[in-house]
Amino acid sequence: MKFGKLLIALLSVSFLFSFNGCSKKETGPIKIGVILPLTGSKAKFGTMEKNAYELAKAEINAKGGINGRKIDFAYEDDTGKPDVGRAAAEKLINVDKVPMLAGGYSSSVTFAAAAVAQQYRTPFLVNTGSVDKITQPAAFNLTTKDGDKFYIYRMNPPVSEYASGLETMLSQVIKPKTVFLIHENTTFGTKGAKSFAKTAAKLGIKVLGTEAYSSGTVDFKPILLNAKKVKPDMVYMISYVMDAAMLMKQARELNFQPKLYVGAGAGFTMPAFKENAGKASEGVFSATLWHQTLPIPGAKAFYDNYIKKYGGDGPDYHGAEAYSAAYVVANVLKRCNGNYSKENIKKALDKTDMMTAFGPVKFTSYGEKIHQNKMTTYVVQWQNGALKLVWPKNLANAPIYYPIDYKKIWK
Amino acid sequence: MEMFLQSLISGLLVGGLYAIIGLGMSLIMGVLKIINLAHGQLMMVAMYVSWSAWNYLGIDPYLSVVLSVPFTFYLAKFLSKYLLNPLIEKDSILPENQVLMTVGIGMVLVELARFLFTSDYRSVQTSYTGQAWDLGGVSISIPLLIAFIVSLLLTAGLFYLLMKTDLGRSIRATAQDRLAASLMGVSAEKITVLTYGIGSALIAAAGTFFLPIFYLYPDVGPEFTAKAFVITILGGLGSTVGAITGGIVLALAETFGATYLSSGYRDAYGLVIFLLVLVFLPGGLKSLTKV
Repeated sequence: MKFGKLLIALLSVSFLFSFNGCSKKETGPIKIGVILPLTGSKAKFGTMEKNAYELAKAEINAKGGINGRKIDFAYEDDTGKPDVGRAAAEKLINVDKVPMLAGGYSSSVTFAAAAVAQQYRTPFLVNTGSVDKITQPAAFNLTTKDGDKFYIYRMNPPVSEYASGLETMLSQVIKPKTVFLIHENTTFGTKGAKSFAKTAAKLGIKVLGTEAYSSGTVDFKPILLNAKKVKPDMVYMISYVMDAAMLMKQARELNFQPKLYVGAGAGFTMPAFKENAGKASEGVFSATLWHQTLPIPGAKAFYDNYIKKYGGDGPDYHGAEAYSAAYVVANVLKRCNGNYSKENIKKALDKTDMMTAFGPVKFTSYGEKIHQNKMTTYVVQWQNGALKLVWPKNLANAPIYYPIDYKKIWK
Repeated sequence: MEMFLQSLISGLLVGGLYAIIGLGMSLIMGVLKIINLAHGQLMMVAMYVSWSAWNYLGIDPYLSVVLSVPFTFYLAKFLSKYLLNPLIEKDSILPENQVLMTVGIGMVLVELARFLFTSDYRSVQTSYTGQAWDLGGVSISIPLLIAFIVSLLLTAGLFYLLMKTDLGRSIRATAQDRLAASLMGVSAEKITVLTYGIGSALIAAAGTFFLPIFYLYPDVGPEFTAKAFVITILGGLGSTVGAITGGIVLALAETFGATYLSSGYRDAYGLVIFLLVLVFLPGGLKSLTKV
């Protein structure tokens, strides 16, 4: 009886201590939650980002970790579905008791997870989810003055800014007069198309039509025919990797030859796009957020180390984002001076100003957004089976291939 | 006019593909009286067999049908003999247990594929991928045309099997009345296992002929399970002719909807037809043809 009571007393005391996750005496690893699609149709991207996180973790821990303690990432699979993403965020915060979240791949899932993070006042460093509203406090019933109540931070630019590099290239070099937009019918695709339509209006490019499709479509010919009929100078596509490949393959089958095809990042920069589309990928432009040949310290090293560790074709900007997010997390934790409470981490995030393999990271406020890392974007083009950086000119590693001779490259 | 013709041809060709996907489902549904929710996943298995044969052994995807079809056939026979049949024998709490079992089988297959092949997107590149005939401005994709012809041959073959052979008669008898068939000396258990095998072999053929047109990843299946289900209901349970008309009707509805209305709602057009058929022709299109 006495023993039983003692046991209960001991248990309840230890239970109390378990809440105090940040006690200073702890020496075990500091666990940070990461939400990524590790299964489902977006698993390819999720796996690439997880690999990048793991690569960064190994490097950080080899160099002494966080003030002597190791860093560890607890991954939760969101399967690419918003409801699962919500549950994943709740589990990480309430069961694993992580003081901070990172990750976030697709826009709709990231937004759902961000709402949970905001509700539990847990800092969330988003590395990919790109719909604009994620860093707009208005979407969370806050205003831009509520920075101290807003727990979401984002590394990558919002989707409306993906094309900023492309904008200058179009206005200075190519000067198309008309454009046709094709996009996936998701948050990412629809918002991206809307913001590009605005950009086009600004540049004086006439939008001849917009077509949406659902991911996984087998037959894109109806869409492409509608585009071909109006003879646009340029076709702008917002698609994930395999839809992108199907689009270009079928465009080639239809002999549809506008002056240029441009992708809005996402799928068009992945090696799998070239593999699947084959010759049809030649000459296709894409906006991108990163390229391994950019003169950013650590970019090439990351690219090479990734291939050394995981093989395959190497990472694109998604990998670079995740890898650098891991470094931002480590940097933030180091500046917490041993107190890893959510509020302390948030304060450290606010003061972030560092250089990563993805470029400089600093969370700023502008327009309707706060806690948003502002950066330039680039333009790449597939030339002879390789992805070349063609814009801005001072950083490019290949000249722009234009005008495009489809007879030659599609043969 | 050119656009109309192009949509018509695209719709017909994709319809042929849908038809073979629906054919196997229809057969299984007719005999086993269950929705086989592992259908698309079995197609995924066959696609991985073909892809592996192409990637590691250099076998042309069309030739690898001699590997993928038997492999899927025996795999499905094994699954139905040891996992599905025992559930028919037992008076289980839920009569839907077999359906739940197919869901489980599907999940295991997907995760096994992810374990073996990772989540990477795969595709085959051959001399004929992306080849198309240009007939006066209308483009006909050659791999799709081949898949269409194969689907017609398979439908004809299955029709012959069901109508003219002893095995076919036994299958139809089991579908009509399991108990009566058993009394007439048909081994209902054997027929059930065999039907699941044949149904899966058909979807394996569909998967293999689909590979040069589409791409492959572990989660490719579920969408086609849903398509197969719609086609089966459209065409009518257990009907070969129904499956092919169902497939073509679905594909034409999708293609014309996408061309002339809005492609964002492509899946909705097929489902509208699906609802109309359920309301006005509950037996499916087969109630028009009687076969």
